[in-house]
Formats: sequence, structure tokens, C-alpha cells
Amino acid sequence: MNAALVATLLRGSLSGNRWRSLLAIACIALGVALAGAVHTLHASALDEIDRAARLLAGTADWQAKGPKNGFDDAAFAPVALHPAVAVASPAVELEAPIAGRNDAVRVMGIDPFRAARLQPGFLAEGSAQRNDEGSTTLMDLHAAWLTPAALAKLKVAVGDSFELGGPKGSVPLKVAGTLPALDGGGPLVVMDIAAVQYLFDRVGVIHRIDLRLKNDAAREAALREIAALLPPGVALVRPDEAAMRTAGLTRAYRVNLTALALMALFTGGFLVFSTLALQAARRRQEFALLRALGLTAGGVRAFLAIEGSLLGLGGAILGTFLGLAASRAMLERFGYDLGAGFFSGSGSTFSPDPTALAIIGLLGILTAGAAALAVTRPLARLDVAQALKDRHLDLPAPPGGWSWPAALAVAAIVGAFLPPAGEIPVGGYLSIVLALAAAVMAVSPVSRMLLDRVPASDAPLRTLARAQVKSLPGHLSAMVSGIVVSVALTAAMAIMVFSFRVSLDGWLSGVLEADLFARAAPQGDAVVFSPEAQAKIAAVPGVRRIDPIRFERLTPEGHAGLLTIIARPVTPTLLRGFQADSLEVPPRGQAITAWVSEAAVDLFGWKAGQEVTLAVSGKRATFRIAGVFRDYSRTWGALLVDLADYRAIAGDTLANDIAIHLAPGADAKTVEAAAGRIVAQVPGAELHDASFIHARALAIFDRTFAATYALEAAAILIALAGVTSSFAALAWSRRREFGVLRHLGLTRGEVTRLLSLEGGAAGIIGAVLGLASGAAVSVVLVHVVNRQSFHWGMAIHWPWLALAALSGSVILLCALGASAAGRAAVAKEAVQAVKDDA
Amino acid sequence: MLRVRGLAKSWPGGAPLFEAVDLDLAPGELVAILGESGAGKSTLLNIIAGLDRADAGTVTVSDTVSGTEVTALSEDGLALWRRKRVGFVFQAFHLLPYLTVEENVALPLLLNGVAAGERSARARAALEAVGMAMHAARKPASLSGGEMQRVAVARAVAHKPSLVLADEPTGNLDEANAAATMQALRAAVKREGAAGLLVTHSAVAAASADRVMRLAGRRLGPA
Repeated sequence: MNAALVATLLRGSLSGNRWRSLLAIACIALGVALAGAVHTLHASALDEIDRAARLLAGTADWQAKGPKNGFDDAAFAPVALHPAVAVASPAVELEAPIAGRNDAVRVMGIDPFRAARLQPGFLAEGSAQRNDEGSTTLMDLHAAWLTPAALAKLKVAVGDSFELGGPKGSVPLKVAGTLPALDGGGPLVVMDIAAVQYLFDRVGVIHRIDLRLKNDAAREAALREIAALLPPGVALVRPDEAAMRTAGLTRAYRVNLTALALMALFTGGFLVFSTLALQAARRRQEFALLRALGLTAGGVRAFLAIEGSLLGLGGAILGTFLGLAASRAMLERFGYDLGAGFFSGSGSTFSPDPTALAIIGLLGILTAGAAALAVTRPLARLDVAQALKDRHLDLPAPPGGWSWPAALAVAAIVGAFLPPAGEIPVGGYLSIVLALAAAVMAVSPVSRMLLDRVPASDAPLRTLARAQVKSLPGHLSAMVSGIVVSVALTAAMAIMVFSFRVSLDGWLSGVLEADLFARAAPQGDAVVFSPEAQAKIAAVPGVRRIDPIRFERLTPEGHAGLLTIIARPVTPTLLRGFQADSLEVPPRGQAITAWVSEAAVDLFGWKAGQEVTLAVSGKRATFRIAGVFRDYSRTWGALLVDLADYRAIAGDTLANDIAIHLAPGADAKTVEAAAGRIVAQVPGAELHDASFIHARALAIFDRTFAATYALEAAAILIALAGVTSSFAALAWSRRREFGVLRHLGLTRGEVTRLLSLEGGAAGIIGAVLGLASGAAVSVVLVHVVNRQSFHWGMAIHWPWLALAALSGSVILLCALGASAAGRAAVAKEAVQAVKDDA
Repeated sequence: MLRVRGLAKSWPGGAPLFEAVDLDLAPGELVAILGESGAGKSTLLNIIAGLDRADAGTVTVSDTVSGTEVTALSEDGLALWRRKRVGFVFQAFHLLPYLTVEENVALPLLLNGVAAGERSARARAALEAVGMAMHAARKPASLSGGEMQRVAVARAVAHKPSLVLADEPTGNLDEANAAATMQALRAAVKREGAAGLLVTHSAVAAASADRVMRLAGRRLGPA
């Protein structure tokens, strides 16, 4: 097969099927663009986090890191004095609310003389002094140095004043200078460590010690010795582990979103298949003629493979550019996280990953190529003599038996029981792909079974439609497969999201058992409720009792994952709210009673009855696990412990949140107003009733899933475009038949209705199979993918109304699409149609 | 019977194709119109069938009950009229490939709302009449051209139309099959008492008709 022949055939094929070819390219492009945009957004976010970690760490090669609430700064001196340590630099890190704004900024307290030895970028203060004629000096308690991103975020310039929230009230600060060398590290306010400790009530506390070891030090031994100097709960880590940890925490979210985008791409592959298959069917006589003239079967296959790959290449190129443009636009408008709240940051880093984009583009080409291969295989068996004579329009149909779908379904069930790889539910995804493949392979036998069950009728249009649909199993399979896949994915996501939402709704109702909730730091973590503030709120008339809540985040020894300790008064009512499997609060023994979340069970292998030892505030404490509770607030582990027990261990009487229970008969508004006046004295703190928090949590949930709704809509649109396009081509091929029917007395309207019935039949078969396979996929999503990715257990809840609306819409749109295709086909005069040789 | 008066039709550019065409067909009469390619035979047939519009003139089809002026009907009215009163035989057979032979023949009956039992019996009878009953369950693709055209003839008369129109029915057939088709068509017209009009450029096919006319020089006259 020479290039001239390929070019001639391609010209005829592409120009003769211009719109279908463009639609196929658009569908591949859409899938590539979605996957590319999602990946670019997340790559950019991770790049900013990674760059920030590297910039701030400078030449430090190790970091001593402790729990989120910090550790005793007495640990610093022994480490700094270790003979193997070249430089040791302590740091305090917190997120402080920006006064008057619903936002926070990262504040870092450093010892400038030590920090500058690790990262010269901290030494930018000289330029500030030149620019500022005021009295700002390094030792000024209120002086702050801002990165360019922080200047932009706070909308200030050198010499300006601004305020952040602290536990003791507003913290007035002045911009002493900029830190241009730390540009790219995100918004960061750098201050003297002592100033941060004092102003933000962290005296005696540090969060990190950056270390550079001497070159000639025996590193392994030195690291062991330094680790031994650290208090319990503080460990030596590599500086890039922060970025890796963020990547790990968000991996499940990123993988799930990318998987959804790839599903849209593969749905687009079905359209490429039907485009090429229909072309092959329409040009069957042409291919037979070429075979008769001497072209080999391999030549025909090669031509179709080239055509499919070209469509894929066009889609891949277009999709890559669209994805880049879309990710850039979304970055500027929404930031990194598509509204899910997993990533924060300036949104200023745009780091497309060429390798990943090339792989996604290649997947687009492979999808189209695979579709072409599926079409070309039956052409190898083309009966040239027969094809030259007849006008058979059907596509190659898949095998019609039950053995393949049954085997794939069994494999899907097996896949669902495979363990995750890391936190990626590989078995779950494999199970979903196999379930969808089983559904696609079941299209042919299910269609035959359903159509055989349609009773014979005297209604001419129904009889004709039934005969027509039955006569083209290949067409039906190609069209219905696209509908099945998209309906299955949409239904599965709808069921999963609905199940999650209902479960979350119920969980919130239980967890928010108090009347009012005060939160010290809705933005950041710098602000807490002091014991005095807690006492004042408890003393408000009408308050029956308060439950102070304290959070601490640490990494359990011997594990890589995070664990949040939730310390609050534990009662059977609270345990019921958390849907714990054991509501009994056992009497205090030697070990402290605790309950762990499902994530802690999955990540750390903990189970009821087990005792675990944790380092809390520098002290080791043993907890006996009494049961497992549900925690939809976080994807990492959590441990619930009674507040009194926690305070006894940690000696920490602060509170992040306070649950306020009203006395019977107390006027909620009056109490809320009185408590609100106390809460207002804490900068940035907020007070809301339970219903507000409940509604806000559900709103955040809906926003998080907005991206998935968009992807579902894209998958449905692709499938419907495929159906309409297939029907348009099929109707055009059948215009002679319509001409005959009009000779026999059918009106144009009746011919159009005939197509509607056929489209509706395809829609019904697609919806039935799609819903059935979607239900199966949703079970995998809920009990395997969700559980292994996010560690959230939940029950299945069926969104009957949404599923009925989805099925009805798909059937109606299939019928309308086919009807529109029919209208175009019968527009031609019947006389001309029966004479057409096409 | 068929009554055509003063029928005229022009080419899209305005040049006359034919004019002042008068034609009468009695029930059970088969008339052939001969003519060169491009003389307007098929156009005349299509106007009579209501598939094309004349510039002037009338076409009336009547049976023992009522008469219908075809040229006065709307498009949907024409479709319904064709459904009940007209049978077609095409040069390229045009059997629906996804229906069996019997279902193809029964198609006009299905369109006219005839019940399944009667539909099957009448289709069988029509196939019997053209010697194709033994192929009732087969799909058209498995038949020869001559067999397909005999099935088409059976389909054209299965619903007992007043008018049977045939456009070059032997154009795709060899001599033997052409003769068999014409014999079947003539017999069907006689049996059903329909007015049969055949346009062809084959004098051999035209010889089977009761009367032969020629469309030439824009006029229709005796051959």
C-alpha cells in the first residue's frame, strides 16, 4: 500500500465524513484535555509545595519535626551542640488569620543568623532598610519580612502595616522588607522566632529544627545520636518529605479525578470506534472493489489503522493545547484544587509536566488506534464477492454469547477483593474496568434477549423499528456500548455521591449534637481558646455545659501516616454521633481508653482491644482501643480520647473548638449573642449554631464534587453525540429504504418517528444495562475505591429520582437525536432516494 | 380506473419535458409507456403516483366506490392515498433487507393496519401467485434478482391497490427473468383488477401489456 493510495483514500474518507471525523477528534480532544488539565493543576500545586519546601530548607539536609502543636524548645540546645551538626536552625510555623478577611497566611519565626547560614534567601533585610526610612530593625518585635507572594496576598508594600490574629488578640505588624530570593515559595511572613513565640503565645515551643551535618561526620551514627536527643514524638526527616507527604495525602483525590477524566477519554474511544466502523460498513463495497483490484486485506487494515491513529493524533494535539489553556484559566480563577480544598497556595505556579502530557496524549492516540483495530479485524474476513453484490450496512458485531460477559464479571468480582497498592485501589479500578467491559460485551446478548421479548405487534412503525434494530446488531452494539459506559459511570458516581452525602448528612447530625459551636481558628491554626475564654463561655447564662475540643496532629512512631488526636469529653451520645461500633465508655484503667477512626484501622492496622503507645506533648502514653468510629473530616487517621485524659497527659488546657450545650428552656439567640461577644474577643474566631455548620459542610461537599459532576456531564454528552452521529450516518445510509417506505405510503413524519423508536430502543437497552452495571460499579466505588482511597465507610443509598431522570433523559435524547438524524435523511425527495446508488 | 388530463411538466430550467398528456386506464388493464432515456417516462409515473408535482393537468384515480384527484392532495394525503391505493415495482427491487420475504410482502398490509393472521394469509397468497411461497421465510439477500422482483410484484398487489405502477421492472434482469416478471405483473393486475401502468425502454417488456404508448417529442401517443 503506497502513500499516494493512502492519501487518496484518506481524502475521500475524511472529506466524506467531515463532521463525524471532527466529532471523533473533538471527543478524543475532550478526554485528553480533561486528563491533561487535571494533571497540570495538581502537578503545579505539588510543584509549588515542593519548591517552597526546598527554598525554605535551603542547604539543610535533615529536619527534626514534631507534632502540629510543636514541642519544647529545650530540645534545641542539645541538638545544636552535637559535634556532628554544622548548622542548626529552630523554626516556629503557624497559619495566622488575616484581620478582616476570611483567609490566613503562613507565618514563620526564625533565628535569622542561624537560618541565613542554611538559606541566604532569608537575608533580604538590607534592601528593606534602604527602601524604608523608618526605624524597622531586625530586633523590632513587630517587624515582618514578606515574600512577594505574601505582599500580593496581603496587598501591602514595604513600610505598610497589617494585622494578623493571635491567641491574645490582634497582632499588629509592619512590613520591614521583602524576601525576593524566596519567591516561588508561596505567601510567607517571616519574623524573628522570639517575636512569633511571644506575639502568638508560643513561648517555649518550636515546630522544627533545620539541620546541616558536618561533611566529615559519620552520618548514620550521628543521626542515631541526634534522634536520641529529641523528645518523644519528634523525628528526623528529609526536607522533601513535607512535599512527599502532601503528595501522599492528596494522591487518592488526584488519582480519582484523573481516573474520571480518563474514563471520559475512553468513552470518546467508543465514538471513534463507531465512526470508523460505520465508515467501514458504508465503504464495504469500496473496500471489496479495492480488494478485487489487488489490495491485500492487510492493506485495508493498515489504511483504517492509519485513519484511526490520525484521528487520535488530531485529538491528542488539540486536547493537549486545550488542557493547558483550561488548566491555566482554572488556576487563575479557582486555584489548584478545583474547589475541593485539598490544596492551598498562591496559585502562581504553572508547571505542566511534559512527560505526563505526552503519556495522556499517547493514551488518546492508543484509544483511537485500539478502536480502529477493533474495526479492522472483521474486515480481514471480508467476503469480497458477496460484499461487491450486497448493500449490507451492519457493523461487525461482538460475539453474542454470555460466556465473555460472565467471565469478565467474575474477574471484576475477584478484582474488587485485591488489596490496594499503597493507597491506590488498583484492584478497585481494575474491577470497574472489567465490570464496564462485561457490560459492553453483554450488549449483544442482552439486546437480543430484550428484543425477543418485545411482543409482535400490528403497529407498523413498532414492527419495522423492532425488525430494523434486530437486523443491525453491530450498529446497535457500537451505539449502545457508548451509552452503557457513560450511563454506568454517571449512575455509579451519582449513587456513590448520593450514598456519601446521605451518610455525611447523618454523621453530621450525630456529631453536631451540641447547640452551638465556637471555632478559634476557622482559618489557620495560630489562634486557640485560652482556659479563661473557655471559662467565660461556660459561665454565660443559659449554657448548661461546654465541651472544649483540642486537636493535635502527629505521626505515630513506626508509621508514615498522620494521626489527629481529637480530645473532648466522650459520652455514649457522642460515640453514637460518631457512629462508633462500641458505645460503651469503660471505666478508667491503667491504659487510657480511646476510639480510632476507620482510616487509623486501614493505615496503621489498629483494632479494638489493642493497646498503642503515642508520644503526646513529649510524653509517651498508652491507649487502649475500645472501638472504631467514622470520621468524614479527614482522610488520615484519628484517635478520639476523653479531654480529661488528654489534659492529664499533655498538660495542655487550650481548646481549638468548643461545643456549647444550652440549658433546657434557654433562649438560643440570647445565649448565642452573649457567647458571641466573648468569642469576638478572640481574633478570627467564629460562633455558629449546629444547623449552620451542618449546612456549610454539605455546601463544601457539593463544591468538592462539582468537578465530578462536570466530568459526568462530559461523558454523557460524548455518548449522546456518538449516538446522534451514528444515527445520522445510519439514517443517511438508509435513505433509499426511507424512499421505498415513502413510496409505500409512509409520511415523512412517520419515517422520522420510526427513527425515534429505534433511537429510543437503543436508549432503553443502554439505560437498562448502564444502570445495572452502574449499580455494580457504585458498589465497588463505595466499598473498595472509597474505602481504600479515603478510608470512609458508608452504606449504599439509591438516588431513585436522579437515576430515573438520568434514564429518562438518555432515552429521550437518544430518540430525539435519532429523530433529528431521520429528518435530515428524509429531507431528500423519495424519488431521488430510491434512485441513489449510494 | 386512472384518468390523466392535460398533464404538463417542465425541466427546472423551464424547457418543457412533456405537455398535454391524456391517459385513461381501465381496471385490470396493463398499459406500457415506451420512450427513450430522458423522455420523461419516470417523471410521468412519479406525478401519477403523487411523488412529483405537475405544472398543469389533473390525475384522478377511481374505483367502484370513489374517485381521488391525486393532484389536489397534500403531501401527507398523498402518502395515505399511496398506502391504500397504489402498488410499486422498482427497477432495483428495493426489498427491505432486514425483513423476510413474507414480511416484505406483508409490509403494505401492515401499514394499512391489517391484523396479523389475515396479513400473513394474504402475503402467502400473493407469494403463491408469483411462485415464491417456498421462499417466504428467507431474507432478500439470499434471492436472485428475478426472484426478488417477483417478490416485489407480490408486494405491489398484496393490499389490492387500484393502481400498480412499475418503473423499468425488467431493467436489472436477464431475458428469462424479465419474461417471468412481466408474466407475474400482468397476471397480478388482471387478478386484482387494478389499473397497471408500466414505463420501460424495453419493447419486449412492453409487449406483455394490453396497450403500448410512446412518450416522444413531449407528447404521449400510441406506439
